[in-house]
Amino acid sequence: MANISLIPCGDFKTRYAADTTIFPTVTSRNFAILGVLLLLTFPAFMDRYWLNLCIQIGYLGIAALGLNILVGFTGQISIGHAAFFGFGAFSSAWLSNSFGIPVALAIPLAGVMTTAVGMLFGVPAARLKGLYLAIATLAAQYILQDFFARADWFTGGTAGTIAEPFSLFGFAFDTDERYFYVVLVYMVVMYILATNLMRTRDGRALVAVRDHYLSAEIMGINLTKYRTMSFGISAFYAGIGGALYAHYLQFVSVEGFTILFSIQFLGMIIIGGLGSIMGSLMGTAFMVLLPEVMQAITNSLAGTAIDTALNLKDAIAFLREMAIGLVIILFLVFEPDGLAHRWKQIKAYWKLYPFSH
Amino acid sequence: MTLLFQLLVNGLIVGALYGVVAMSFVLIYKASRIVNFAQGEFLLIGAWTCWWLLTHWQLPFWIGFPITLAFMLIFGVVLQVVVLRPMIGEPIISVIMVTIGLSIFFQAMMKWMFGVFAKPFPTIFASPTMNVFGLEVQTVYVVSLVISLLIMAGFGWFFKYSRMGLAMRATAFDQQVAQSLGISVRQMFAMSWAISAMVSAVAGVTVGVVNGVSSALSFFGIKVFPAVILGGLDSVAGAVLGGLIVGVLENLAHYLDSQWLNWGNMYEIAPFYVLIVILMIKPYGLFGTKDIERV
Amino acid sequence: MTIKTVLLATVAVLAFAGAANAQQKIPVGHLADQSGATSDVGVPFAQGVADALAYINKNGGVGGTQMAVETVDYGYQAPRAISQYKKWSSGSDKVAAIQGWGTADTEALTGFVGKDEIPFYSGSYSGHLTDPTGKGPHGSKPAPYNFFYGPSYSDGLRAMLTWAADDWKKKGGSGKPKYVHMGANHPYPNAPKEAGEALAKELGFDVLPAVQFALTPGDYTAQCLTLKEAGANYAYLGNTAGSNISVLKACQTVGAQVQFMGNVWGMDENAAKAAGTAANGVIFPVRTAAIWGGDAPGMKTVKEISKISDAAGTAYRPVHYVSGICSAFYMKEAMDWAQKNGGVTGPNIRKGMYQKKDWVPAGLEGVCVPSTWTETDHRGMDKVNIYRANIKGDTGASVDDLVKAGTIKLEKIATIDVPRKPEWLGW
Repeated sequence: MANISLIPCGDFKTRYAADTTIFPTVTSRNFAILGVLLLLTFPAFMDRYWLNLCIQIGYLGIAALGLNILVGFTGQISIGHAAFFGFGAFSSAWLSNSFGIPVALAIPLAGVMTTAVGMLFGVPAARLKGLYLAIATLAAQYILQDFFARADWFTGGTAGTIAEPFSLFGFAFDTDERYFYVVLVYMVVMYILATNLMRTRDGRALVAVRDHYLSAEIMGINLTKYRTMSFGISAFYAGIGGALYAHYLQFVSVEGFTILFSIQFLGMIIIGGLGSIMGSLMGTAFMVLLPEVMQAITNSLAGTAIDTALNLKDAIAFLREMAIGLVIILFLVFEPDGLAHRWKQIKAYWKLYPFSH
Repeated sequence: MTLLFQLLVNGLIVGALYGVVAMSFVLIYKASRIVNFAQGEFLLIGAWTCWWLLTHWQLPFWIGFPITLAFMLIFGVVLQVVVLRPMIGEPIISVIMVTIGLSIFFQAMMKWMFGVFAKPFPTIFASPTMNVFGLEVQTVYVVSLVISLLIMAGFGWFFKYSRMGLAMRATAFDQQVAQSLGISVRQMFAMSWAISAMVSAVAGVTVGVVNGVSSALSFFGIKVFPAVILGGLDSVAGAVLGGLIVGVLENLAHYLDSQWLNWGNMYEIAPFYVLIVILMIKPYGLFGTKDIERV
Repeated sequence: MTIKTVLLATVAVLAFAGAANAQQKIPVGHLADQSGATSDVGVPFAQGVADALAYINKNGGVGGTQMAVETVDYGYQAPRAISQYKKWSSGSDKVAAIQGWGTADTEALTGFVGKDEIPFYSGSYSGHLTDPTGKGPHGSKPAPYNFFYGPSYSDGLRAMLTWAADDWKKKGGSGKPKYVHMGANHPYPNAPKEAGEALAKELGFDVLPAVQFALTPGDYTAQCLTLKEAGANYAYLGNTAGSNISVLKACQTVGAQVQFMGNVWGMDENAAKAAGTAANGVIFPVRTAAIWGGDAPGMKTVKEISKISDAAGTAYRPVHYVSGICSAFYMKEAMDWAQKNGGVTGPNIRKGMYQKKDWVPAGLEGVCVPSTWTETDHRGMDKVNIYRANIKGDTGASVDDLVKAGTIKLEKIATIDVPRKPEWLGW
């Protein structure tokens, strides 16, 4: 979709394999590695508040990437993502509590369990298109939520369940500083896996299903198989994200996985840019940081001259919420293709500076 | 047996209310293919406006209500012009996100303007309840049922015989062809939003009179999704029927639940299970137009 | 080089000044829901807490030291509460205690506050929070740093059931009275469900299958018809005011004759106004021994505190406001003790909570109910005041006018003992 990238002169490939690398240029690869190294140093100087936000961006980013694979790359739509996220959280807690499986193994297993559930809900997806699919996923959201509230053996019913902290060979990753690394590793792995998926045959098939499914079918791509697979992959990512969430908070409760949460995921990928891997992360960061930034602004306004002049005292909380909604609307009005697209535009501008057009 | 009968009657009456909300939802979708996630907030704005006119301005209901409708008409037009017109042509999912942003915005604004406490409507009807087939029903439900029937009849006539209605249907069918025939697509969009807002106000006021106006009223909007899909997204009659079905289904499920199953919340969940089953058999809902794909 | 030195110096000075400043005040965190799903009861409670803390600061603070209170509205979104908590629990200005709010975030933070040793005074009264050691018979997780002022939801229901059993005998009812639990399938309404149904059976009630209704307002005629058909006599409404009102109105329309029993958050003056005559006769527990305008020596202090945000002194304060004041004052007196015994730190404040038996904060006699917390039992209150809402007539006017005119009256009908039975701990 937003894949306008200007390749500098002299950068041509002579082999097919060289053209399908994960990073388009050596520079971008080096920047990525540098970025990861920089992130490794974060816990040394950031306080828990910022680490908490980064961890949130981490596990939500993984789940948002899954949704982007489903919505952005395959052209389906899902308003039930929070339910899969919750399923991953509960299964990881259940696996480590009931079977004593170490948390490091429980997280991937939870992802696999969630994949199974995702594919189950993906089967009717083969027949439904557009909005009907969206509402079917909405139904899945409510049904799964109901299941969480009832299934005492799995979720602890409405009281919630305690999840163990992540520990490896006796070293417990239960503080923010240590858990940051766990989330970082998972995020890097999952994002590379997704980028890799997109350059394989299956990834191209998914994009073909999105762009023009009739032609794809004519070419021999099995629509049902790929649509179900897409649901499964997106559920896998959601499950891993949910499991990381569970072991971070060490407590999972059904209250957290509401329809509003699903809508937030949609917001993350739409604002970040559909069909863009980096966009998922940017969109997640946007949605996580927006309320915090608004909170900081309203905190600094409270008690100042503007506050008393406009008599805002109580209204500040509401203004903050209104501002959040307004920012989302304005952002989409001015940049409907998302942050990733805007970022590419900025890069393109500077690439040709001062001759950009 | 009488319990079952009473539940059915209640289901039909409440279902008519769902049908009204579903109708306003379908109106927007039919004309502009937009899923309006802010529909619940339209109900809320209508309810608060009517409440405000009745309590602060002490207007009698039969004056305040039409003023509310007129206000919602203008509100719908303004909203479409200011927020949604710039989004024409953008991917539909971005527009959906804009409506989500709108719902956040309006929720907060209503809380700011009217406070966080639930407020009751002043007594409007001389007798608050009426006896319908042996079941005591709130008068306002019956009144809204009558109004909704009138609205449905009105719409039926409007879309079939009036020039404007035909123009709207043409725009919904194929925007480009409609434009080439001289229909102002932008006007049609604005009008569809205006009418939808107006119809939402009717439902909002009804729910407000029964339950008191509070910010949680907007959840009615999400409740209506199964009804809309059941009936088919682009069929107004289907939306109404879908609402009725959901209303009856809820009450029937509750009956089954209370007598035999004792699971506790069939009332909320049954519509979703039925929805999935119906979608597997009829992927476009009961009355939706099948998307015929031409290669 | 010069610029760098100047910058470093400025930073050092600011840090020093910041640190020096921080020494003089006791940081206290306050989570509130003033704009989210539970804001209709969150606003008066948060106002009570905030006013009480401001009043304490005005009158000398904690043993001469002021409190630095930060009130944050998290809109009942647990992730925001957790981020805020992280901010408060790290760094040099780690809070000494937190006045919290909702079930979702309180339960999520239980583990964290235990590890970070920060006393958490919640607005959630779930029975799970009453077991500090986690050794109770029902396997709840240990919550050594969670406190709350008020009867737990389970204890409140137990008290009302005890009253109901008496009431049935007084009314001359024949046979077994029928009891039904109504609420959404969510942690907050479900918290007392098992405990209530168990006690009801013990007391000789015929326990009907629970009826569910959502936390949002809607049409609950079906549920009321079921109630009527089953002949239920006593029904517990477990949800918040918004949806309880819908049920009350629907049942009034349908003509279901049931004695409704609310929870602490399910009925108050504002809900009574919104529901009108449908709420007439509903009983519910009140956390304080006197409500606004009531006859108690401590009511004078409450009125003084109210003037902090209402200088004219004309606003009517709902039951939640007064409860919020009590919650803040218990924290303050625990901090007083801590200051004299090693400094105002989390563990000391916690020890301070265990110092007095049948404790009423100074200046609030007759308002706050005498409470006792111990190292093994965080059930503070063992006497529950049950009030009945009496509403006659139209409730269009403001709450203030309605109460003055007597259209809305909350009258105390009983004070029930709920003994601290060991088998009821954490349940």
